[in-house]
Amino acid sequence: MGVKSWLNRSPMRRIDELEERLRVLEQDNVELRRHNLRLAELTDVVQELLVPLASRDQEAIDAAIEKFTKSL
Amino acid sequence: MVRSQDAVLVDEDGVLLRVTEDKVVDVLVDDRRVWSFWTVRDTVCHASAEAGEEQRLAPWPRPLRRFLDGRARITVRETVSERVLFDAEVGFGSSTSPIAIVGRHGEPLSLDKDGRLSATFDVRDPSQTGPLLDAIEEVIEVLGQLGVEAFPAYGTLLGAVREGNLLGHDSDADLGYVSRETTPVDVIRESFRLQRGIGERGYRTHRYSGAAFKVEVAEGDGVVRGLDVFGGFFDDGRLYLMGEVGQEFRQEWIFPLGTCTLADRTLPAPAVPEKLLEAMYGAGWRVPDPAFKFEKDPHTQAQLNGWFRGTQVDLRRWDRLYSSRRRKLPRGRASELAMLAHRELPAEVHVLDVGTGRGRDAWFLARKGRTVTGYDYLPHAATAVIEEAAAKGLPLDVRRLNLLELRSVLGEGARAAHQTGPRAILASHMLDATYAVGRQGFMRFARMALRGGGRLYAEFWTSKTTDVRQLWPIPVAEVADLITANGGSILHATDTVRTLSSGVDVGVGRVVAQWA
Repeated sequence: MGVKSWLNRSPMRRIDELEERLRVLEQDNVELRRHNLRLAELTDVVQELLVPLASRDQEAIDAAIEKFTKSL
Repeated sequence: MVRSQDAVLVDEDGVLLRVTEDKVVDVLVDDRRVWSFWTVRDTVCHASAEAGEEQRLAPWPRPLRRFLDGRARITVRETVSERVLFDAEVGFGSSTSPIAIVGRHGEPLSLDKDGRLSATFDVRDPSQTGPLLDAIEEVIEVLGQLGVEAFPAYGTLLGAVREGNLLGHDSDADLGYVSRETTPVDVIRESFRLQRGIGERGYRTHRYSGAAFKVEVAEGDGVVRGLDVFGGFFDDGRLYLMGEVGQEFRQEWIFPLGTCTLADRTLPAPAVPEKLLEAMYGAGWRVPDPAFKFEKDPHTQAQLNGWFRGTQVDLRRWDRLYSSRRRKLPRGRASELAMLAHRELPAEVHVLDVGTGRGRDAWFLARKGRTVTGYDYLPHAATAVIEEAAAKGLPLDVRRLNLLELRSVLGEGARAAHQTGPRAILASHMLDATYAVGRQGFMRFARMALRGGGRLYAEFWTSKTTDVRQLWPIPVAEVADLITANGGSILHATDTVRTLSSGVDVGVGRVVAQWA
């Protein structure tokens, strides 16, 4: 939307629209912040669990899984 | 009711005060502080107030009420000036015996700053707090070896700087560190690494959030004390320290670390600890306040919540629900769902009872000779069943599964998937006990554990009644959609009405699904 057409709207409507945009932006921000914990958890799983699971030694795999779940 | 010259009254309802300004006061039982409160903030206007005089009542906090049957000398005094407002013998209830506010081991208890009944430091002698101070030193040293420079934080830093000792009204110790990392994701990864490092040195740990965990330390007489480790970081001139802090802050107020004195120990401290204390407690940090409550800045809380929190939702509520019953074997019949699963599944199928709670269904299935693994947010809720199964040699174990924590779901899912033999999952009132994120976590776990073939039996409420607390109903169609989206096939789905023992009708959904 152009600035001119936006300014032509009634002040109440502009405030309503801004409030709605603010609400959406805040929600987006919350969602973005959540990626930090999720990404850290995934990275941790890859480092601590996936690499040991690539082993073909069942005992080593079981030990790695047990060590990982106990460390949480 | 007993009345003193200061028009303070103490009876079974609480402490009634004539209030002119908001001040913090201590309540002592037989000369020992058990409770502190603010005379306006923590009180209610009393109905029988006399004209021209504001009388306010501080009701006895719920954790103290159960002790109030007998006689005791009650003292009410202003914390800062130590002016005594009330001091007399008071009788409560029908007993004439002395009141003793003590724990299971006879240790004196009082309310800590969070309103919990604890063995606060003011009732501990040096032989008892020595192990905690040792642990503070040791954990700081271990954290140093792991690459972060830790120091006493929050109440422990306040005690060290203001009083040179642990705060009397505190019941745990806090450590903080400011990471050299600058983004939350790296701060979290570092905190995971630190927790592992501490755990490998033999300490039991418990994670609170992506940037904070607790280290458990046993004191001289066996009281287990929490040592909380809070992570922090600088970003663009602002300091964020897990817990409460998020504000403009200079790096040179933290680094290089200086020292502080805590009891007889010299410990590291931020370069200008006064600045950090101001960030934590406000400009009034020098004035003692045993009833301090953080005034949380909504923006900082939104940031810290978004970055680090969300994996412990309602954990305390569940803990409270189970804490008094976990040592008692669950009574009553197993769920109809467990009986159905037992009838339908071959004897060799290993049942994974997700959301086992106190372990009633797991106990039933194990006694029928099945191998059972119970999973729960709070595995210690099933303590009685675990101990009884071990004593009887039954194949039952209970493991922690936090459906809100991706690492827990993936770790336990991988473990289950790697076990040999057929498996099935029982989920009796689990899907309606968690949230959308938890249900997604559960489906991920089911998909992993049942890969290669396995059945899911789930039951949940589909309508809300006042008789069914702690649970949130969920439509059958929503559960069915989740299952099919995660690779399962619905074998059977019903939504029926069940009449509870109270006579109330409630909708109950049942879904049986198969993974190929």
